[in-house]
Amino acid sequence: MKKSILTLAITLMASFAMAQNAKLPENVTIKTLDGKTVETSIIQNDGKPIIVSFWATWCKPCNRELNAIKEVYEEWQEETGVKLVAVSIDDARSASKVKPHVDGNGWEYEVYLDQNQDFKRAMNVVNVPHTFLINGKGEIVWQHTAYVDGSEEELFELVKKVANGEEI
Amino acid sequence: MKRILKSIATIACAATLLASCDKIDSNEYLVFSGAAGEWFDGNGVSDHSQRAIIEKYTGVRCVNCPTADVAINDALAQYGDKLIALAIHDSSSFTRPIGDNPRLSTEDGNTWSNYFGVRAAGEYPAGLISRTLNGSAWDLFTPTSGINNRVDNILNNDAQVAVAVDATSNDNAMTINVNLEFLQTVADKLTVTLLIMEDGLVVTQRQPDGSDDENYVHNHVLRDVITDIWGADIDCTGASGEKRVALFNYTPASSEWNLANCHIVAMVSKKDSREILNVAECHID
Amino acid sequence: MSNKAIKIIAAALAVQLQVSVFNTLQAQGILGGHVTGNVQFDGQLSRRDTVIGSSDVPEKLLSNARADILYTNGNFSAGLRYEAYLSPMLGFNSQYSGQGIANYFVSYKTQTFAVTAGHFYEQFGNGMTLRAYEDRYLGLDNAIRGIDVVYRPWNGVTLKGLIGQQRYYWDTRGLVRGVDAEVSLNDIVNSWTEAKTRLTLGGSFVSKYEGDETILSDISGYKLNLPQNVGAGSLRMDLAHGGFGLQAEYARKGQDPSIMNNYIYKTGEALWISASYSQKGLSANIQAKRVDNMGFKSVRSVSGEMLYINYTPSITKQHTYAFLSMYPYATQSTGEMGLQADFMYKFKKETLLGGKYGTDIHINGSLVTGLDTTVIGGKGTDGYTSTFFGTGDTYYGDLSLEVAKKLSSKVKLTGTYGYMVFNPIVEGHEGDLHHNHILVADLTWKINRKNVLRFEAEWMGSDSKYDANVDDKRAGDWIMGLVEYNFTSAWFVSVSDQYAYKDGIGNYYNISVGYTKNATRLQLGYGKQREGIICIGGVCRQVPASNGLTFSLTTSF
Repeated sequence: MKKSILTLAITLMASFAMAQNAKLPENVTIKTLDGKTVETSIIQNDGKPIIVSFWATWCKPCNRELNAIKEVYEEWQEETGVKLVAVSIDDARSASKVKPHVDGNGWEYEVYLDQNQDFKRAMNVVNVPHTFLINGKGEIVWQHTAYVDGSEEELFELVKKVANGEEI
Repeated sequence: MKRILKSIATIACAATLLASCDKIDSNEYLVFSGAAGEWFDGNGVSDHSQRAIIEKYTGVRCVNCPTADVAINDALAQYGDKLIALAIHDSSSFTRPIGDNPRLSTEDGNTWSNYFGVRAAGEYPAGLISRTLNGSAWDLFTPTSGINNRVDNILNNDAQVAVAVDATSNDNAMTINVNLEFLQTVADKLTVTLLIMEDGLVVTQRQPDGSDDENYVHNHVLRDVITDIWGADIDCTGASGEKRVALFNYTPASSEWNLANCHIVAMVSKKDSREILNVAECHID
Repeated sequence: MSNKAIKIIAAALAVQLQVSVFNTLQAQGILGGHVTGNVQFDGQLSRRDTVIGSSDVPEKLLSNARADILYTNGNFSAGLRYEAYLSPMLGFNSQYSGQGIANYFVSYKTQTFAVTAGHFYEQFGNGMTLRAYEDRYLGLDNAIRGIDVVYRPWNGVTLKGLIGQQRYYWDTRGLVRGVDAEVSLNDIVNSWTEAKTRLTLGGSFVSKYEGDETILSDISGYKLNLPQNVGAGSLRMDLAHGGFGLQAEYARKGQDPSIMNNYIYKTGEALWISASYSQKGLSANIQAKRVDNMGFKSVRSVSGEMLYINYTPSITKQHTYAFLSMYPYATQSTGEMGLQADFMYKFKKETLLGGKYGTDIHINGSLVTGLDTTVIGGKGTDGYTSTFFGTGDTYYGDLSLEVAKKLSSKVKLTGTYGYMVFNPIVEGHEGDLHHNHILVADLTWKINRKNVLRFEAEWMGSDSKYDANVDDKRAGDWIMGLVEYNFTSAWFVSVSDQYAYKDGIGNYYNISVGYTKNATRLQLGYGKQREGIICIGGVCRQVPASNGLTFSLTTSF
């Protein structure tokens, strides 16, 4: 009997291993900056790559990353059509500061609030910053945690590959 | 707009289902947790008054008894809540009902009547105020007069012990709290006697002119002694400033009593001499 | 046939059966989903140190580990979490000791309807009536185990209902029930759809049930007549008009004598207002708050950080520099008034103050005081009365100015000045107010594409002096230095030291090495950790001093 349990386990694991890349979840509830409840299926980019970045107003590396990308965002968009979606995990203490923070920093990203951290959990984010790269099919092809000055350039190399339909 | 109203209505319904927010009145934040009759340190008594109780031994066939009721009612009007009245129907022949009226006698009343010598003297009405001694004998008197000087003798002294009683009834189960506060040091052992009395009993009473009044209203009629007839021991040191409290449970012995017309009386007595130090009365909530 | 042959045939049949069942399931799309997850391991080897006050750890090694496994397939998802505390790390409650499945759920979600059974996290509004959440670094998990339903009958209307018990270490306690409604008026009222003004209204009601128990009053012989159902409700609004924003929530709570409020019967109340204006390069935000007896737990007699049903946010800024966050502030749910203002401005490039790359300034100030209260009595009374606008003792105040400037294409400097007032009563002991001045310089030097150096220098001057009777190891004047070297985003090494040079005690040195690849991060540290309060996400926890080796691994897949 032990043998057959083992067989089952291997079959199951093999089927999971064969499965496609995980997709960006579609039905997790988040909020827009003007307070409207929406679902994550709103995160779309017409078959072009999407960067989903989890951040918080109090997280210094997050702010450095989003500010660094701001400087080159226009170029990135022109070259690859990429869109950056910044998901704030700020809770009630600082959630009302998110919009002023975004405007004050002059970020032109699509920003959502994940106060209850449902999206964060669905994406298995442990610490912020945590950045995901999504291909045109909505599949998560790469993820990275932590930010160091300059690592946005590594990210852009990957975005270009994804935009060209290359594997990572 | 309809949608908004509809969703508000949905929530209101759900909230009503859940509407489970207990509200406790400020006088009910604390409940007694000890065993019945067990004494604890208490909160004290806010009213430090000395009060007196007039026990009237009476009977429905006693023609002079209505005269005593008039005198006692006058005294009650004069002394207000400083004087409490109690009517005791013992088992003398005067207490035999006229016609098919119910008998107001109680066994406890008869025990007291025997002890204080009312039965032996055989004179009705008989009065006794706060079970005071006159020399070595009980200060029995005919309460058609002579009430005021006896009451004054008691009320002119400051209370040694302040007493308060309150009673609540729930489904025929009554809880009675007795609070004491020692205003002076008392060396004697003390007891508290709780009793229940009823007002507004319409029972035929023979009048001074020999006629029978079928609509006579009897008030303060002793129904039952809740504690032991000579009271429950008070567990205290008797030191000035001491505050004690105890709770007693009671189930009314007869369902015919109208609790709305009933009062509870608490008498604090010296255990050895049986003189009453102070007394309090309350309605049943 | 021999027994062996029978066994082989039986095993073959069993495999065949499983494969066919499996194929059927796959055909129905049940096994066609995805498995994702994350794993975290933290370990600590601590040694005794009498100066910083760390104690001996008989087990030598302390560790916390957890793994979340999440399965999703279309509208269906399920997850479970394994946790192991062998033994719990310093600062985590010893009741966590042990291992097992701490959390599991199944969930089905469509566009209009979602139901979750098992453990879930939920928040109504700003959390003033209900917030079930976790903070793994604080050892705090208020997950509710029960059923959570979300229903969106129309676009713009969200209704929520839940019932369940709260997690208490390895157990669940209490009984919590709640409903919430939120209406986005722009989606409901046809003529408002395109309006520039966006208005969202919401309300919630939460009730907890707890049976009677004997809690003796201060008067012997009397116990408390406890409410067995305690309710809390709130109303909230969120108004946005271009760059303007106004948010507010008002909550009330019924009689709820508990260990937190010393068993008084006063009702609770909380009001929070936030107003902001922002445009590109400029933002201002002001928040005000009044909290009065609003601690709401599912078990009245349990103190500590577990079993909170609601959350009253602290509005003070969450500082991240070591000395600015040395005296963090957490909401006093028994009662406080607070005011917080935030201002941010970017001087544009090529202007006088902006220079070649622009300059950011950030000003923040906050003040928190107690309530103006009149005491009525203790346990088993209404406790106290308070005036709505009156203030009591100062609990906390801070003022900070941060200037961030890119000096060249390779060097960025952030300078911060902070002033802080802290009342030790917030942490439960009497004492004089502490007044601290803090300076921070934070410089990042990007040597080239792969090599980045970061330097941080901090100074704190304080009027507090170390006193062995109080044993506040944060008192006195401090300096700190930190150097961090990053080789791409993969490797980092950092060395730091905090030293009390006047009126204080302690020398906290630390060296850390980390490696990150994709979503996997490994970190190793050696040194001394300060005893104190660590705050993440507005909740603070007392952590004991530790001295030794720490390592941590996190990965997501």
